[in-house]
Amino acid sequence: MVKEELIKRSPLRVFEQSLQGGMLGKGNLGILTSRKGVGKTACLVHIATDKLFRGEHVIHVSFSANVNRVIAWYTDIFDEIARKRSLEHVSEVRDETVKHRVIMNFNQQHITINQIISSLRALIVDGGFHADAIMFDGYRLTMAPIDDIQEIREFARTMNVEVWFSVSALDDDVPYDTYGVSDPVRELTPYVDLLIGLTYADDHVELTVVKDRDNTEPKRMHLKLDPKTLLIVEESEPIEP
Amino acid sequence: MTDIKYMRNIGISAHIDSGKTTLSERMLFYTKRIHAIHEVRGKDGVGATMDSMELERERGITIASAATNVNWKGYAINIIDTPGHVDFTIEVERSLRVLDGAVLVLCSVGGVQSQSITVDRQMKRYNVPRIAFINKCDRVGANPYKVRDQLRTKLGHNAVLMQMPIGLEDKLNGVVDLVTMQAVYFDGLSGDEIRTEVVPADLSSDAERMREEMLDAISMFSDELMEAVLDGNVTEQLIHDAVRKGTLSLELTPVFLGSAYKNKGIQPLMDAAVAYLPHPGQVRNVALDLDHDEQEVVLLPDEHKPTVALAFKLEEGQYGQLTYIRIYQGRIRKGDELYNVRSRKKFKIGRLIRMHADSMEDITEAGPGDIAALFAVDCASGDTFVSGNLNYSMTSMYVPNPVISLAIKAKDRQASHNIAKALNRFTKEDPTFKTFVDPESNETIIQGMGELHLEVYVERMKREYKAEVEVGRPQVAYRETISMPSEFNYTHKKQTGGSGQYARVAGFMEPFEGEEGEVYHFVNQIKGGMIPTEYIPSCDKGFRAAMEKGTLIGSPIVGIQVTINDGQYHPVDSSDMAFQSAAIGAFRDAYKRAEPIIMEPIMKVTVEGPTEFQGSVFASINQRRGVIISAVEEGMFCIIDAEVPLSEMFGYSTTLRSLTQGKAEFTMEFLKFGKVPKQISEELIAAYEEKRRAEAGK
Repeated sequence: MVKEELIKRSPLRVFEQSLQGGMLGKGNLGILTSRKGVGKTACLVHIATDKLFRGEHVIHVSFSANVNRVIAWYTDIFDEIARKRSLEHVSEVRDETVKHRVIMNFNQQHITINQIISSLRALIVDGGFHADAIMFDGYRLTMAPIDDIQEIREFARTMNVEVWFSVSALDDDVPYDTYGVSDPVRELTPYVDLLIGLTYADDHVELTVVKDRDNTEPKRMHLKLDPKTLLIVEESEPIEP
Repeated sequence: MTDIKYMRNIGISAHIDSGKTTLSERMLFYTKRIHAIHEVRGKDGVGATMDSMELERERGITIASAATNVNWKGYAINIIDTPGHVDFTIEVERSLRVLDGAVLVLCSVGGVQSQSITVDRQMKRYNVPRIAFINKCDRVGANPYKVRDQLRTKLGHNAVLMQMPIGLEDKLNGVVDLVTMQAVYFDGLSGDEIRTEVVPADLSSDAERMREEMLDAISMFSDELMEAVLDGNVTEQLIHDAVRKGTLSLELTPVFLGSAYKNKGIQPLMDAAVAYLPHPGQVRNVALDLDHDEQEVVLLPDEHKPTVALAFKLEEGQYGQLTYIRIYQGRIRKGDELYNVRSRKKFKIGRLIRMHADSMEDITEAGPGDIAALFAVDCASGDTFVSGNLNYSMTSMYVPNPVISLAIKAKDRQASHNIAKALNRFTKEDPTFKTFVDPESNETIIQGMGELHLEVYVERMKREYKAEVEVGRPQVAYRETISMPSEFNYTHKKQTGGSGQYARVAGFMEPFEGEEGEVYHFVNQIKGGMIPTEYIPSCDKGFRAAMEKGTLIGSPIVGIQVTINDGQYHPVDSSDMAFQSAAIGAFRDAYKRAEPIIMEPIMKVTVEGPTEFQGSVFASINQRRGVIISAVEEGMFCIIDAEVPLSEMFGYSTTLRSLTQGKAEFTMEFLKFGKVPKQISEELIAAYEEKRRAEAGK
């Protein structure tokens, strides 16, 4: 399959169609949330990879001890997609996606949102990296003051980027609803445009839009995570053995 | 001959300026090999003993890996000094081949820096057990705990502190040995008087906690120790055994600390080196049996077996060429005859030497595992010497292709003579350094792994060989390749009286991604003798010849698979030459239609520096057609990884220095060949054509 066909047939198209206003869009904030270890990062990386396939530029902000682990996520998700769709010109497409992706890693314990924003700005403005989206993986948004979220929104607007977060409650003992949204994360609802919850259902992980702009009626997305490849797939698709 | 159990071959490996040379110097001092301590770049102008080259002294870096022999508490230790700059990785790799264990030196302020990462990766590849030494604990901002954590996160070591500092920065007094639970102080003018005392009261609870942490980590390697911990009867011996086991399995890195400059912590480090690093008999070494299809054979550290030794370092001394060897099997005696497997020449051992930092000692024999030096043996670095009828070669080390070249010209006749001598020497010493005369321009070209790599050799020509040279602009080693398959059906026909030439070859070429280093693959699908078997190798040879020089810019062609599936011959007019010519013609013809492109070397560049300069560094990479892979921030410090075309990296050290007030540094190494952008490709082609026209006009 050539790249264009792969983009057209991506489950991310179903993702977009499940949302009333289409994909998140520039200047907006979205959250993917679940308990720990359900598959937020995989989901986030798949969304980012779809953008990279489409020639968009993505900054992945991580707080991991090891950047190679993040790079490995991208490699794995790319390889799975390429294998599944029998992608043509694999190495060429891979090179393109790598060129459009930068991973920025911070030590979360000693950093303020202003420092992160200043580094992002340095990359976008000084480094001439025209980012279309920023993925915050594992940022402690539930701990952040509301002002920080406003700062990020302001930054997203001025830089014209779409911002995604993967968020878990720091303490897993807090109450969760059936969509995988914990109480502390629910409190963030007014400040973001999209909130998507991930929960286990039988042998797979289900995605639910809990907030979609002005709509706060939870809606199933007809998508799931393949437990083996951790790819987002259509609900109807049989899970590979 | 030393009992192998009492022998250690140890490398000291580190980032530039983390104090490696000072540490080596102190080790020599405490082992009484030298009698005074000098500082690196010392005021007395003497400099540290391990740096044998003047140039290295000036730059504060160590280029050559001299081996020096010392004696510590009955153990014979060969200290192999490894170079610290990435441009000299072949030297690092070659010394890794001969050492059995290593001390990884880290700066307590700078921590794990990019060079440590590169060197550590190489050590992992060669399965070298390591212990770590956190140096410069007397510096402002010293934080050994942070460095220990970085060893874990950045290098993935299971790093465990075996000591605890008594004071830090200017209050560094000594260390607490967590094995004996004693405070150790280093008295006397040069720290050579060791005084042990009880642990200071204010540190005892921390020390207890750290000992528990240490025991917890190392008891994984010994059930006996684990039981002893539970029963409360841990002995020093149990600890040593467990740490040794963990270290040898590469699953544990015991960490020591101190300050070489302040003479603190060196003796315990040497105790640790002999206690935890392996002796040569504990390391598995293999050679390739050239008589049996390069099958691996395990070498045994047995002095009665036939000798196998590796020449790992050549040095031009005042008395002639000195060849450092490591003996893997058998022994070497003065007067013995050895056989150089590569050159197929026998030679007799005249003088056998043991090298100390500033003197040499004549010895009569050296046994398995040992390192010695030979005088006046004609050989190249990396040669294998054997005795008897063996036809073994030590595993060939991966030698990367050069990525940069430089035209050099002698300033006068004398210089030209000396340059020839120097080049001959350098190519023997360093397989990544290549030289040839360009038949078109008649210029002498030198090639290597980076700008600094070549700069050092140019300077060595001036200093050691008194050869003044003019250098041209550095040139990048481009390659050509194809981007799509293309068919050929080519007939070579010539009739010029007498017997003619006739050959036809048909088939196709396609892009090819080979295993490491493989750039061409030939597939023969000829059936029914359309081309007689004897002419198939001629076709292969013709294709290879055609790949030596591409038609775009005259660079070598890589990454092509050629398949032949049809052809024709003539019983009288066909010949080896005719098929070679046909293959060359077919190749050139198909190449044109296969959308050839130019490839350039892409370097993996790592820049480290204060976060405040991040924007400028990003900009500088962006301006150089670089791709930023990642940016990692750690406190006020950041590390940026990028992929940048080599052609854009000339002079980057100067740029970076001025952008960051000298506070950032970078390393680079060859990563891959990448496609040159269209516009630059067109410029290169135009320049090449102009050059050709100019030459044709001459």
